[in-house]
Amino acid sequence: MIVADLSYGELTSRLAYGGLRLRTGPVVTRIQSRLSNVAQGLALHYADHAVEDAQGFADFHVCVAPPRNLRRWVKPQVYFQFDGASPFLPLPADQAFPMLEWGLNWCVSHHCHQYLIVHAACVERSGLAVLLPGSPGSGKSTLCAALASRGWRLLSDELALLDLVTRNVVPLPRPISLKNASIAAIGRFVPDAKLGPPVHDTVKGSIAHMRPPADSVRRAEERARPRWITMPRYQSGAQARLVPLSKARAFMHLADHAFNYDVHGRRGFDLLAQVVDGCDCFDFRYSTLEDAVTVFDDMVRQV
Amino acid sequence: MPSPSALRWRSVRPDAIAFREWDGEFVVRNEQSGSTHLLGALGGQVLHILLHADAALSSADIVIALGDEERPGYAPDKCATVDAILQEFQRLGLAQPESP
Repeated sequence: MIVADLSYGELTSRLAYGGLRLRTGPVVTRIQSRLSNVAQGLALHYADHAVEDAQGFADFHVCVAPPRNLRRWVKPQVYFQFDGASPFLPLPADQAFPMLEWGLNWCVSHHCHQYLIVHAACVERSGLAVLLPGSPGSGKSTLCAALASRGWRLLSDELALLDLVTRNVVPLPRPISLKNASIAAIGRFVPDAKLGPPVHDTVKGSIAHMRPPADSVRRAEERARPRWITMPRYQSGAQARLVPLSKARAFMHLADHAFNYDVHGRRGFDLLAQVVDGCDCFDFRYSTLEDAVTVFDDMVRQV
Repeated sequence: MPSPSALRWRSVRPDAIAFREWDGEFVVRNEQSGSTHLLGALGGQVLHILLHADAALSSADIVIALGDEERPGYAPDKCATVDAILQEFQRLGLAQPESP
């Protein structure tokens, strides 16, 4: 069963009572919430994701709920709860769905140490993956959304999970988080994109999520071999171009962008070194999505 | 305080270092500190020499081992450069001067 198989009433009922067990890649999360914007966000963005058995195992138990004080009604706020605890400060109630998304990222990045986790977007074509590590604002999510809409398979917008044994990327296809000017840019570039309503005045500015392509969600068990490491950077007026990056510098970028490199110690070092061994590494500046996609398509054609 | 050139240096234990080279650049993980560093060609060669040395080395010994000059007196700039690298290694916990 997938989320789209549930009526909106069934979805809200599961969320309110017992929880929705949602599979995202290798992770099952039990989500509870009575908030309509959470239910609407899940219905829109997770329509193609599997719903697991109501009595089955869940890796994480989370809840998005209003506090039990005046802030339930006055300038209403919401909490993200993980195993009954609230690891974050509350946010305005209209940010409930982005808060759920950030909370789910936190659950994976802070607990799934069976993987080496890199803060990177990741897409695949012909079985070969491109890792796009980048700091917030680099344009990696925008580029990822553009590529995912033009034939590349979305593996992850935010968290690249590297298998410690095979070194392959384990897909975690979830909504792509677009910020500020990127929302309109993707709206123009992908006219049929399933974009949620923008949420304004978050810590990251205005946020809107894009539903991941159904094919990427269906193929979430197909892992992919890292073949390229590309450091994206949106730069107004820049010609889209791949500039070779030394492997040692690419290694440092990956290590700097890894959430749990230190957790794995020597094993993490060896894993990243082997990943870098097998990759061509580039800096990538771009200003138009059309040109950026063309450069990536040419890159894969040359293999 | 002896001058840097008079000091003799040892690296941390070789089994505490993970070391990879690509095209003349090096990445080094120090298991004792948990830190990873990017080294240029000369820094990587200096660390490699220290890791494989049986005894503590002076910067002059290292210059000789680098093979650029037969006698260290002919390479004062190189000695100064190696001294600076060794002091940086000390800051990073990759090498320590021996007590006199």
